[in-house]
Amino acid sequence: MNFELLIDILIATVPLMLIFATLFAFTTWLERKALARIQNRIGPNKVGIPCTRISLFGLGQPAADGIKMLFKEDIVPRGADRLFHLLAPILALIPSMLVLCFLPLDFPWLNENSVKAFLLDGAVIFFFAITGLNTLAVFMAGWASRNKYSLLGGMRAVAQMVSYEIPLVLSAVIVVMMVGSLNAAEIAKAQTGWDWFVFSPWGFAAFVIFFIAALAETNRSPFDLPEAESEIIAGYFTEYSGFKFALFFLGEYIAMFAISGLAVTLFLGGGDGPGLAVLPWLSVIWFLAKIFALIAVMIWLRGTLPRLRVDQLMGFAWKFMLPLSILNILVAGFAWHAEQLDNTFITVITWVISLAILYGAASGLNQLNRGKVRPREYKYAE
Amino acid sequence: MNEEIAFWILSAIAVLGALVAVRKRNLIHGVFALLVFFAGLSGLFLLLLAEFIAAVQVLVYIGAVGVLLLFAIMLTERVAGDDGRRMTSRGSFWGLVVAVAVFVVLLLPAIQELPPPEAAQAIDPSVKQLGHKLMNPYVVTLEVLALLLTAALIGAVTAAQGVRMPKEEDSQE
Amino acid sequence: MSILGGGIFKGMAVTLRNFVGSYINKKERLPTNDYSWRPDGDLPQGIGDYPKEEGEQLSDTTTVTEYSRNFPMLLHDGGEPMDTVRCVACQICERECPPQCIYIEKDYDENGKYIKRPAVFDIDVSVCMSCQICVEVCPFDAIVMNSQFELSTPDRFGGLLVRRDDLLKSNDYYHQIHPEEAAARDQKMAVEKAAKEAKKKAAAEKARAAAEQKAAEAAKAETKEGAE
Repeated sequence: MNFELLIDILIATVPLMLIFATLFAFTTWLERKALARIQNRIGPNKVGIPCTRISLFGLGQPAADGIKMLFKEDIVPRGADRLFHLLAPILALIPSMLVLCFLPLDFPWLNENSVKAFLLDGAVIFFFAITGLNTLAVFMAGWASRNKYSLLGGMRAVAQMVSYEIPLVLSAVIVVMMVGSLNAAEIAKAQTGWDWFVFSPWGFAAFVIFFIAALAETNRSPFDLPEAESEIIAGYFTEYSGFKFALFFLGEYIAMFAISGLAVTLFLGGGDGPGLAVLPWLSVIWFLAKIFALIAVMIWLRGTLPRLRVDQLMGFAWKFMLPLSILNILVAGFAWHAEQLDNTFITVITWVISLAILYGAASGLNQLNRGKVRPREYKYAE
Repeated sequence: MNEEIAFWILSAIAVLGALVAVRKRNLIHGVFALLVFFAGLSGLFLLLLAEFIAAVQVLVYIGAVGVLLLFAIMLTERVAGDDGRRMTSRGSFWGLVVAVAVFVVLLLPAIQELPPPEAAQAIDPSVKQLGHKLMNPYVVTLEVLALLLTAALIGAVTAAQGVRMPKEEDSQE
Repeated sequence: MSILGGGIFKGMAVTLRNFVGSYINKKERLPTNDYSWRPDGDLPQGIGDYPKEEGEQLSDTTTVTEYSRNFPMLLHDGGEPMDTVRCVACQICERECPPQCIYIEKDYDENGKYIKRPAVFDIDVSVCMSCQICVEVCPFDAIVMNSQFELSTPDRFGGLLVRRDDLLKSNDYYHQIHPEEAAARDQKMAVEKAAKEAKKKAAAEKARAAAEQKAAEAAKAETKEGAE
């Protein structure tokens, strides 16, 4: 066995896992505190450094939660598929962790051998392929619980994830089209110097579509119908206790990180920021800061918006986001050709026209999909 | 050397997945074993340095076709799970003969030592080449395939709407 | 027509104001943590200070706020509890309680006559849902909500059945934990008592006036008889 290869692989992957696991713990704390403050209450603030009385604003809460989940009894329902019950949380965690490797984070300790495995030419499409495995894990979880509500939650979750994958991929296609490569590192490099894709009209529309679809992919509010407590207790992971639930939780948050990371790579410049000429490793800090900004917006949206009903959810994906993203590709295609002409006047005109088209289309689709208000019909109450 | 080990491991995964998929009584287990087979195939594509095809294999087969199969099994009553019935297969001898024959025929290029075709070295397996080839000269094929898929989609929606199945997501009440 | 997605932005502005305001303007943005009625004002030693040192009796009243409530308690007006207990065992709260967690038995003296106090007053706090209906319907202001939350017990069969003597708490304790509510209730009782006194006095006046009139009429009838 080639030891150098092994060590290179370990150097590339282990720090990533450690960093993101720590960030996961911090994010759970941040989410609880931020949601609490939005909801006029204080979040957890008692658990600080363990075995002492020092409560550092509740920063020890994730550790306490982790220890609690480790010690909980692992209950498998009778008649449930034991093998799948065990495999589902693992299958939920693996894709999320795997796609973290495709993000163009150039840590200072990586030499060119260790990143060679992950700087694939098709990194972006690998990302989407592996994120699609999350749907399988959700389905397996719902099926293996032998609980009809879990199964229902699982099927709804799979339907939602599959429906929102299309706008997700189509809005990434725009960026790939503009850059001309599927390589994540190249896409990030094409945006240096504050030339981010989010600053162009089609890029901004694509970013908004991508972000909303990312919220739906990771089952975050307002798309968290499959795991809503007041609807279906916990949906597809109702029957999971203890560490398996912790693995699901971990998988969901790491998926959030991964998709935010892809959004940052594709649209927000991916590591671009001031001070890069002086300290090259500052790009990692900027990348993580941007990921955190997106996570903060996700938490903010969770505290703001009510949950979407399942038919509203599916209608939104197929009737609004899909036509808009296809139109966006068309507009971006024309804009690319216009930019090839290298004439500022034409570029400005293109921007204005594309802005108008996209905004008009979005408003038009909104009006088209606005449900007509009718008096309510009762099926059983007459 | 590493590639050989990888090839054997991936092939073993693929073959085992396929065997389990056809032999398992429990349909859901069978479908998941089929998905393992697809994953093994994707790994084999990676070994051939066709990254795009490997990714698309995972995306389409595992992510879409696999989920489709699972949904189909789930929505059909009493097909999922193991119902304990044992099927008798009376033509198993001739089936085995045909399977061995197909296997030998497929192995023939590997057994005979044919000279490698020269054109193979000139193919650039990158996505850019694939895109160029799809746009010209294979653009008509692409459009026909797209039309076919659209027709299939519309047909599926029509077929689904024609049969009055009770909706499983009735969350209005 | 407003901006596409304008509603979402307006909502996000509201939550942002809530978030920032909960740090800056605590009294307005954290109303459930409002400790302004307490003498030391701001967010106090209750938070972060719990549990206390070893051996110190945990007192609920240090961390309780004006509007908190947990389970009911019976009020008495000081002194020996059963002498001044306000409850007369009318059993209205028992009948009105939705989960039926109150059990009352009237008290009878040696002759079998009904005394106006409860002999047995049990509340099963594992059933009680703190709906406060018993407080609302009590005509004697005898039962109010307590805020004590340290009620866990290792005995899972009878440990959560709170008996009459544990339910009795003095009016001073009530003032201590819910001062505004207790003051309002005392004022209401004083007004009612004054009204009752006034009515009694008016009734006494009327009775006296009626008696005088009857006496005057009787005297007139006598003189009339005497005249005939």
